Amino acid sequence: MKRRWLTWSGIGVLAVLMALALAACGDDGDDAADTSGDDGGDDIAAVIEQLGGPVTFGEPAKGGTFRIANTDFAQSDGFDPTGEYFGSAWTIYNSLMLRTLVSYPFTAGSAGNELVADLATELPEPSADGLTWTFTLKDGVKFGPPVNRDVTSKDIAYAFQRIATPSVAAQYANYYQVIKGLPEFSAGEAKTISGIQTPDDKTITFTLTQPTGDFLFRLAMPATAPIPREVGKCYTQAAEYGRYVIASGPYMIDGSDKLDISSCGSQKPISGFNPNTGLYLVRNPNYDPATDDVEIRQSNPDRFEISVNTNLDNIFAQIERGELEGSFETPPNAVLRRYLQDPESRERLRVNSGDRIWFAYMNLTTPPFDDVHVRKAMNLVMDLEGVQRAWGGPVQGSIPTDVLPDTLMPELTADSYAPYQAAPFAGDVDAAKEEMKLSAYDTDKDGLCDAPACKGIVHLNRNFAPWSTQSPIIVQSAAQIGIELETREASRSAVNDASGKPGREIPLSSGNGWGKDYADPSTFMVLFDGRNILADGNTAFSLVGLTPAKAKEVGATIPASGPVPSVDADIDACNPLTGQERTDCWVALNKKITEEIVPWVPLMDATAIDLIGPAVTQYDMDQNGTEMALSRVAVDESLQK
Amino acid sequence: MTRYIIRRLMYVILVVFAVTAVAYTIFFVLPSTDPAVAFAGRNPTPELVQEVREQLNLDEPVPVQYALYVKRLVTGDEYGWPGLGLSYNTRSPVRDEIINRASVTLQIAIGGAILWLLIGIPIGVISALKQRSLADRLAMGFALVGVSAPVFWLGLVMLYVFWEKLGWLPGTGYVPFAESPKEWFLHMLMPWMVLALLFAAIYARIVRGNMIDTMGEDYIRTARAKGLSESRVVTRHGLRAGLSPVITLLGIDLALLVGNTVVTETVFNMPGLGNYVLVSTDSGDLPGVLAVVVLAAFAVAFLSLVSDIIYAYLDPRVRYR
Repeated sequence: MKRRWLTWSGIGVLAVLMALALAACGDDGDDAADTSGDDGGDDIAAVIEQLGGPVTFGEPAKGGTFRIANTDFAQSDGFDPTGEYFGSAWTIYNSLMLRTLVSYPFTAGSAGNELVADLATELPEPSADGLTWTFTLKDGVKFGPPVNRDVTSKDIAYAFQRIATPSVAAQYANYYQVIKGLPEFSAGEAKTISGIQTPDDKTITFTLTQPTGDFLFRLAMPATAPIPREVGKCYTQAAEYGRYVIASGPYMIDGSDKLDISSCGSQKPISGFNPNTGLYLVRNPNYDPATDDVEIRQSNPDRFEISVNTNLDNIFAQIERGELEGSFETPPNAVLRRYLQDPESRERLRVNSGDRIWFAYMNLTTPPFDDVHVRKAMNLVMDLEGVQRAWGGPVQGSIPTDVLPDTLMPELTADSYAPYQAAPFAGDVDAAKEEMKLSAYDTDKDGLCDAPACKGIVHLNRNFAPWSTQSPIIVQSAAQIGIELETREASRSAVNDASGKPGREIPLSSGNGWGKDYADPSTFMVLFDGRNILADGNTAFSLVGLTPAKAKEVGATIPASGPVPSVDADIDACNPLTGQERTDCWVALNKKITEEIVPWVPLMDATAIDLIGPAVTQYDMDQNGTEMALSRVAVDESLQK
Repeated sequence: MTRYIIRRLMYVILVVFAVTAVAYTIFFVLPSTDPAVAFAGRNPTPELVQEVREQLNLDEPVPVQYALYVKRLVTGDEYGWPGLGLSYNTRSPVRDEIINRASVTLQIAIGGAILWLLIGIPIGVISALKQRSLADRLAMGFALVGVSAPVFWLGLVMLYVFWEKLGWLPGTGYVPFAESPKEWFLHMLMPWMVLALLFAAIYARIVRGNMIDTMGEDYIRTARAKGLSESRVVTRHGLRAGLSPVITLLGIDLALLVGNTVVTETVFNMPGLGNYVLVSTDSGDLPGVLAVVVLAAFAVAFLSLVSDIIYAYLDPRVRYR
């Protein structure tokens, strides 16, 4: 009898556990599962195509609170616009809080990467020698409370002084070294930046040391937004100003009006921002829409709440229920699949170009990748379709055929330019073997890498999906040409750390990616600029352009097989150009890098995916920030929970 | 007794510094992401990296860095006492962050503890008194489920059932008590229940074992022989002896929870210390991680001390060992 009770209680416990397990599993599936399967009979590529660009539901109106949650308030410099380098922060600054001389239309696609005048009355042309740029500021633009005064050219000049102040640690100050006198100001050799002149409150002139074709793009970055000296002077260390950012755009941090700026000591962090819990924005009462393009900055909601929720699944569950309007995070594949398969709700899923490439970089100093034929063979043999499937299908990105995202270089899309493989890009083993035969590492010329250097090659990757799911595909692809990879997976920071140290001599890594800073190929060319190679924190991963002197400096080794190829001169040739000449130059260099240098196997031209809640009545994507266009969204409060 | 307390206090200080030294070595000496490089952005110049390194005192030799850390910890820094430095991530004082978040973690831990004691002790007692009965089997079945179910899974199941399907409770997030006591309670309920289910199961098993042993002691038989009612025997004599190990265990468990609520706080999006250590680890914010490690070590050592003192007070044999 006792034994029977024991049995029954055991069965009961088992039943409870199974019921709970079923409840927990629900209708969700494996996160890394393919989202490209059954889509209700529609062609998945066509479906994804339809999900790009802006969308409207019902009658968009002003008012309400637009609520966003992310797993953390991603920031690289405490939300200080001088140093902050995260795309989501840039979207918040540009769309909502800060105005710069030039800006973007905050819309999806190539149009969203075009520059428009913002604080400036118009987009200027440079002087004939390409060295001088003069801007006139619009009237009536004011700082938000508690500063409450007109924005002047001197506030912009002050922002540049902060960029040039080493203790503020501007993270992309490299873009402004072309301004005459800025390096001297940084070094403490000058009290002002001689290349920035403000003859009156409405005029600012930049004098450069060399023609710079993308200078206007650089002036659209948030670090150049005006900062009132009376507040900024109190914060001269990195990230400090992030808690005191004064608005010049349509929204300000909630509680800004309570900031006491009578002295530095009286200032306490603005209550509406805590990096660990969130950012709350309300309308800036000093913002005058007459000074702005109200089609671009529609500024529909009265309030934005950008909070932190550490539970990613819960964020998207809240969006689906109408408790949130969106997130800067990418929805899990289970959520993507559900929306893609449901024609009723799929319009709430928005898929646009992420202007970001994920790649497997090959180290040009490390055998066997010091041989261009091996690198080409890797590009030929790679099962890119399999990699795409491992990521979750076409919704996660398209297959790249060059080293730049398609939106940055629409001249070279997979339809028009595919130097290694043809669709479906599943790997061309025969062509790869033919290429391998040309390599010194294929000693018997059978198309297989057979030298000792072909065995036990370290392949570094991230230890979480989707990167980890692509590892076996990369390993199997390489094995078909005799390259035996040993995958070592680690955290994101560990991968970045190892990749960033040339002295570690990582031969191959597929855990790295790059997104644009602005819509010009130059922001990707830093990855191939030999002068940009660092001993630590290096992002020129493949070491293209490594010279013997640089190798000594960073602890790398020039391979015995010969010098490392360089494109430094090509980059220098393209940089001063403007217009079509510039475009043609970058196209030619892109082809040269892709076909002759071959530093990477490009793996994914990633998308930017947004899931928007049922209360969102208008959505667009900010192609510059590759996040939701907050300046154009609208919400219907009656549909919110 | 005073000498005993002083001796134990010295031991606490020693433990805290040993933990600090080990943690500091792990985070700052063994290979990890260079905080200066991480802080300097994705395309840093060597000059900027050097500037950041100087700002963060990372240009000093590691022993000097550690000595500076300990000095600031003991004497305080420009942000107050204890000196826990500046977050690499938010550039705000870690001390303020720890104080704010510790209160949330304490609310979760204390509420959870009350709940698990309210569940675990009665179940343990009933199981012990009704050995091999249906109630005992069910209680131990419950204990088995509670111990076996992972916290994150239990949390997700609860969210699914009580928030997503039934809509009885609010989902994730924290509402301060001062803002709305009702919302505070409703938001805390699920985290409390998740912690309580795990620990109640463990406590029920411990109480059951202790009670069975205690109820077989001679003095219990004597109490019964004196004619005391069974309820009086259980409450006055059985429970007092049977629950004393639970008091010790509770002290240690509460202390461990200070640094051990990562999963609960992450699932329920509670801005506590567990959540903080996760965010800090992910972003390479070493001062944040180190601060939680130090606090957790101190909490464990201090509450062990308190338990030892209570034990020494209750049982004089302990202090002479």
